[in-house]
Amino acid sequence: MPVVEFLQFTLSGISFGMIYAAIALSLVLIWRGTRVLNYAQGGMAMFTTFIAIEVIYHTHNYWAGFVVALAAGMVLGAACEITVIRPTLGRPPLNAVIVTIGLLILLEGLAGILFGGQYRSFPTAFSITGLKVSGTPLGVSRFDVFVVVAVLVTTLVLAVLFRYTAAGLRMRAAAFNATIARLSGIRVARVLTVGWALAGLLGALAGVLVSPSTFLYPNSMDAIFVYGFTAAVIGGLDSPAGAVVGGLLLGVALSYAGGYVGGSVGANLTPLIALGILVVVLMIRPDGLFAGARMRRV
Amino acid sequence: MSSGPEGAGREADGSGGRADDDGVAAASASLAVEGLVAGYGEVIALDEVTVTAEAGVITAVLGANGAGKTTLLRAVSGLVRPRRGRVLLGGTDVAGRSPEQIVRAGIAHVPEGQGVIPELTVEENLRIGMMSWPARGIWGGRKPPPRGVGGDGSSREQGGSGGDRSPPRGVGGDGSPREQGGSGGDRSPPRGVWGDGSPREQGGSGGDRSPRGNRAARAAALDEEYARFKPLADRRRKLASTLSGGERQMLVIARALLARPRVLLLDEPSLGLAPRVMAQVMDLVVRLSREDGLTIVLVEQNARSALSIADHGVVLNLGRVVASAAAPTLAADVALRHHYLGF
Repeated sequence: MPVVEFLQFTLSGISFGMIYAAIALSLVLIWRGTRVLNYAQGGMAMFTTFIAIEVIYHTHNYWAGFVVALAAGMVLGAACEITVIRPTLGRPPLNAVIVTIGLLILLEGLAGILFGGQYRSFPTAFSITGLKVSGTPLGVSRFDVFVVVAVLVTTLVLAVLFRYTAAGLRMRAAAFNATIARLSGIRVARVLTVGWALAGLLGALAGVLVSPSTFLYPNSMDAIFVYGFTAAVIGGLDSPAGAVVGGLLLGVALSYAGGYVGGSVGANLTPLIALGILVVVLMIRPDGLFAGARMRRV
Repeated sequence: MSSGPEGAGREADGSGGRADDDGVAAASASLAVEGLVAGYGEVIALDEVTVTAEAGVITAVLGANGAGKTTLLRAVSGLVRPRRGRVLLGGTDVAGRSPEQIVRAGIAHVPEGQGVIPELTVEENLRIGMMSWPARGIWGGRKPPPRGVGGDGSSREQGGSGGDRSPPRGVGGDGSPREQGGSGGDRSPPRGVWGDGSPREQGGSGGDRSPRGNRAARAAALDEEYARFKPLADRRRKLASTLSGGERQMLVIARALLARPRVLLLDEPSLGLAPRVMAQVMDLVVRLSREDGLTIVLVEQNARSALSIADHGVVLNLGRVVASAAAPTLAADVALRHHYLGF
């Protein structure tokens, strides 16, 4: 039944899309604050997911691992900003690019040493048995629903934080105009650290949510990072809303490609489709679909 | 929205009249730059610059493009780190501190180019001005923000009465509205209204120690600026990008005032404004000095209009001070005008 199939692909695409959206959001957070593209975001997420898996194996408690992963993501994000990113600020942009790529290689190497290079399966919080409505499979499981809810809730909490709190205003001010922010007494360096911590949290969330479907190994987040990056560029690197929409669009598009083409061709086609979308968006709207008035840092 | 009777308690713990032990510079709001050297990379933009801005008056800093005027302000506010020299805020050397610290010490810098944050609303832009205030809530035990000009001057007419008003008071909060405290008219700044002792409505806020008091003090401070700059009040929920040039200038000055500075550094506030609006801005600058007792350092390309409102003038050329005198004296010096001021 084509309609059912379409529905299945769409729902499953939304579930994956939310994970891409989480990665995309973390990239946008960092980009807005520091104008750095964090190529290590996937690596950081991989590392915190390994920490989560160790915690789960030792405590036999999924939620303990889940919470530890998010906390570790914040700590890792803040630590990276303070130790390796801060010295690159105010230097040519390429410096930061190289530093984050170096960080990625470092994290993947460390993960291999500490946790081993073999594929490990990551548990889920809820059943991955497909949900059915009056006998018709929907193509998604309870866990997929959890994925969507978890990312959605995190995104909304962040949105409220940014929009309605003094801390959020400090972050927005620092991102839009660091000079004015500093002259007004905002400790911009501290604010940027918080931004990296929140990005680390989002990445860690994505890592924990995606790893049941990808297995966990030192390079396991590379592809997810590329999709998240694509989603962020589709939405416009400056737009949090764009990141979420970009993630969903990409998730659904890739799901259709994989689903309708099928087999190993479909599976191998998805990265290509993602890159194709990236190229098209960059050609038509280089600033992304959600680029508003040009935002410029003075 | 503002303080109230309980303020008396606060006086005891040191706002109002006791700004003297605020650490920095309570005894005077004068700004003295001594032997300042600053630059960018190989370029020396300021070479042994010495400038004194007396407390409560307007000092104009003049000179051609590239003379070092903007760098002087940036070095004072900490955006450029001075290589040598001192920046004395009422006797305390703040040279080498970060901008975040310097605004807390009492120097607010309004940079060139109507620097609003267009992506934020008018009110958000204004709230940014209060980010230098002590954190609310959890850290409630800290001191209220260092108070303004009035702090030092409590001596003026009403030092003693200061207790009952004053949220983290401003400029001029306690002492200053010099002559015109009572006038309260449309043009007179709300501070004047405060100054004359009418604690506005609601006493309840009770000092800034509690989170609620802090919030009330912030709301009161915002209201004060809205009263002073009515067009901003009407557009508080609008994005700052929708403001006209003159309104943007109001917004950045209001934002700077919300930091409760003793010294205000203004970089080309009239740049790009229509003549009529420019006159209004100049008028505002005069009032901030005369009525609020702010020490103002005014950088201007337009030397004629700057000298017309300034008390003192300093002329920079290629990073050095070439003249420093009372404003009328500079304006009367034909050779100087021709050489450096272009009028």
